[in-house]
Amino acid sequence: MNPEYKDILLTHSDDIIRKWMDDLEDSKLRDYKSTISDEMIEQVNREFVNLIFSILKDGHSQKSIEQFSERIVNLGWPLGYLTEGMQSFRTICIKSLMEHLDEHDKDGFLQIMEDINHWVDPIKNELVDAYSSNWTSIISLQKVALQELSAPLIPVLDGVTIMPLVGTIDTDRAKLIMENLLDGVIKHRADVVLIDITGVPVVDTMVAHHIIQAAEAVRLIGATCILVGIRPEIAQTIVNLGIDLSKFPTKSSLKRGFEKALEITDRQIVSNGEEKKVIDDIIQSIDKE
Amino acid sequence: MKGALTTVPIIKELDIVGARQSGRNLARDLGFGSVDQARIATAISELARNIYLYAGSGEISFQEVQGASPVGLKIVASDHGPGIENVSKVMEDGYSTSGGLGAGLPGVKRLMDEFDIISDDNGTKIIVVKWLR
Amino acid sequence: MRIPILKLQNYLLVSVQIELDDQTAMQFQEDLLGKIHETGATGVVVDLTSVEIIDSFIAKVLGDVVSMAGLMGAKVVFTGIQPAVSMTLIDLGIHLKNVQTALDLEQGLIKLKQELEEK
Ligand SMILES: Nc1ncnc2c1ncn2[C@@H]1O[C@H](COP(=O)(O)OP(=O)(O)O)[C@@H](O)[C@H]1O
Ligand SMILES: [Mg+2]
Repeated sequence: MNPEYKDILLTHSDDIIRKWMDDLEDSKLRDYKSTISDEMIEQVNREFVNLIFSILKDGHSQKSIEQFSERIVNLGWPLGYLTEGMQSFRTICIKSLMEHLDEHDKDGFLQIMEDINHWVDPIKNELVDAYSSNWTSIISLQKVALQELSAPLIPVLDGVTIMPLVGTIDTDRAKLIMENLLDGVIKHRADVVLIDITGVPVVDTMVAHHIIQAAEAVRLIGATCILVGIRPEIAQTIVNLGIDLSKFPTKSSLKRGFEKALEITDRQIVSNGEEKKVIDDIIQSIDKE
Repeated sequence: MKGALTTVPIIKELDIVGARQSGRNLARDLGFGSVDQARIATAISELARNIYLYAGSGEISFQEVQGASPVGLKIVASDHGPGIENVSKVMEDGYSTSGGLGAGLPGVKRLMDEFDIISDDNGTKIIVVKWLR
Repeated sequence: MRIPILKLQNYLLVSVQIELDDQTAMQFQEDLLGKIHETGATGVVVDLTSVEIIDSFIAKVLGDVVSMAGLMGAKVVFTGIQPAVSMTLIDLGIHLKNVQTALDLEQGLIKLKQELEEK
């Protein structure tokens, strides 16, 4: 930074800080602040602006920026508040320089812009980086959490298991579903797996393709797949898209699928009073889930 | 350690088995799970067999690479055979000049994450990559 | 390398315990057809639990052997195909449509019995 500019900025730092705090106070940044106490905001803003000025005075300090970024990320302040704050800080600094410089021409103005940017931008970038790396780690954590939830396999009877699918199925998830499905079939020694798609909002050609592949893979390892939970609108899309699901059994409800599974595994619901009621209850409670 | 891992020459039929075993071991050492190990070994088997069947001889080389994810296994299958006349044709499922299933090359593409093929009169080079997830 | 083929009543039992290279697979095709001819077996169970790789060539040999055995009046069931193998076959686009499957040897035998009795 031009030493003359630096001098002016440091001499008038109190003025700049005051103007900046005022600007933050009555700007639309208010929206962000509803949940944070005014004292807190005042304190952090002051820390922030002190940091910026100390960088101007003593040079770039990676460490102190990192510390501040970490603090602000942990506070959970919106990134937009900070970037808009930086923007207004930039404007105030430029104005202040223009006011206090004796004379300035076009080139001088460009120089001012450049010097200010050179000072402020690295700080802003550091902040944005801190935020985005925080987001990235949150996303990857959530991905892991989602994977664990993703495709549970529930054994309900000897040889019969159910895999309820909930949510959107993309290629990565389809791979995972397939792996869980096949490992589960082996582990539970399942003759029949019911894949319940009641909770899958959209079945397009891609999703159908993944489901068909999973069913084919299940067949290869020696079990049978029944696709259940086909809602009317899904039946419509499947047929309208020309998807051929005729090669493996499909049923509208888990209940019907379960009956089919009993048939395949050569079982019957016995009808001697008590016992029948118990099994009916089981089927009904499964169906509700 | 990044870079070249090993090269397996494909000259006789049993080299196909050798190549896919080397590939599977490397994949395991890099941390690939058992399903991806099987995918990688199967892809190598397809590429090695094509070299043996259609080019007579060639080689399969393995490299550890970085990119889309920190660890990837890159496999290069190269030969100086007659080359593939119609590359887009052989990428269609079911196309074979030998009465095979014709599932090889399109299958390799699906088994791996990246697939590139260069083929002319001087031979064929197929480069595939599998990324560790 | 040859894969042993056992006879049990009307059935042939095969458990593939070695890595299938091309030569072994072709030899197996020949041996199995010969054995069906020799014994007049009506059912065959081929257990693939120990097989770690089935590529398109081996898949073709196995699929062909089922069709050929069928022509000779013997039904074939494959058992124990590993999840990883099943997934790679699906990726290859090979569905072995004409092939019957079961979880393991025992289930395979039950399946064969059922199917042959139904006839
Ligand atoms: N390395 C190669 N050199 C020359 N031709 C090849 C090579 N690899 C594949 N091909 C050609 O591509 C065709 C398709 O190969 P592939 O998809 O592996 O099916 P398949 O081996 O069952 O025929 C082969 O039939 C062959 O004509
Ligand atoms: Mg091939």
